Amino acid sequence: EDAERISSADVAVVEARRRLLQQWYAWRQSVEEELAEERAALGLPEKPVAELLKEKAAAAAPAGEEQVVE
Amino acid sequence: MRPILLAGHERALTQIRYNADGDLIFSVSKDQIICVWYSHNGERLGTYRGHQGAIWTIDVDPTSTILASGSADNTIRLWDVKTGKCLKTWDFPTAVKRVEFNEDGTKLLGVTEKRMGHLGTIVVLDIKVDVEAEQTDEKALTIVCDESKATVAGWSYLSKYIIAGHEDGSISQYDGKTGDLIYNFPIHELNQPITDLQWSHDRTYFITASKDKTAKLIAAKDLEVLKTYTADTPLNSATITPKKDFVILGGGQAAMEVTTTAARQGKFEARFYHKIFEDEIGRVRGHFGPLNTVAADPTGKGYASGGEDGYVRVHHFDKGYFDFMYEVERERQNKLAAGNA
Repeated sequence: EDAERISSADVAVVEARRRLLQQWYAWRQSVEEELAEERAALGLPEKPVAELLKEKAAAAAPAGEEQVVE
Repeated sequence: MRPILLAGHERALTQIRYNADGDLIFSVSKDQIICVWYSHNGERLGTYRGHQGAIWTIDVDPTSTILASGSADNTIRLWDVKTGKCLKTWDFPTAVKRVEFNEDGTKLLGVTEKRMGHLGTIVVLDIKVDVEAEQTDEKALTIVCDESKATVAGWSYLSKYIIAGHEDGSISQYDGKTGDLIYNFPIHELNQPITDLQWSHDRTYFITASKDKTAKLIAAKDLEVLKTYTADTPLNSATITPKKDFVILGGGQAAMEVTTTAARQGKFEARFYHKIFEDEIGRVRGHFGPLNTVAADPTGKGYASGGEDGYVRVHHFDKGYFDFMYEVERERQNKLAAGNA
């Protein structure tokens, strides 16, 4: 009987966690979609930091210049 | 998870920041010096000298070109990351408690202290991310906090909002362009100051830490409280880990505020909580005083903490950290993997 009670409590905990996980990822998806739309509307890159780092790397090694990597 | 101890500061740490690549750590302290370290081995690359008072805050632009710092000497300074040269100094009537660049490094906000005859403000400066460029003297914007002074502030996604945490435990959302106040909500216990505000990777949500012993996860768009993490000690700092759904909290009671000063009683530990389930999942001991600042490596490899004891401790996560998962998380991962197959 005890074992049964414990296991039903466990099931409830697991169910609650499953719900929290589902809620979180659903919220994240809606936020990410909305952000992507806003960025696109403003003509901004999706990943601003990655884009800036790429630009900096390009500026440091101008096109046409050979880069020797050892 | 063997930490690397960075011993270079002579007084209490006030803030630590990683750069976007996660290879550099910037630290500031009451000793008036900014240090930069390699995160992988803890070697000190250099220092930035010039401030004439305790340094409260530091930030680096997303390309690791320029550094901004704010100090009790009533200045914000801009530095060339590579050479250590001071590029610009802005003077204010009071101490600068927080600086933060927006997502593309073109704007810098500064939080100024309240003092007899001066209300606390949030100022915005337009920045050129170029060490050769002449920086403007003019403030693009000044927000006056006449209700309760701001203690911390930051830029949301798209620089759309400035979010501030206040001394009275409330948070505000201001329009990032006009500085108009949109919302102000009491989030933490009344008159328990908000001590830290750090962003998620995309700046759509953030975490606050408070002296009320809780940290909260909040949506930038509508300031909805998403999660609450409850600790047993006043908190000074909180950070969100990328890659894993955890948050790390740091705090502890200062020696002068407790009768016993043993590390155990002071609760000088970094606490890990599950970001979604709000459970505490682990603690990391090591500091001899309260943790004043915690920062997560934006690449997810580790975290650093800075203490009242003057040390920075850098931790690189081991395999166990990455493998740790709740049953329901593993279930979800397996389902996603099956869906992609």
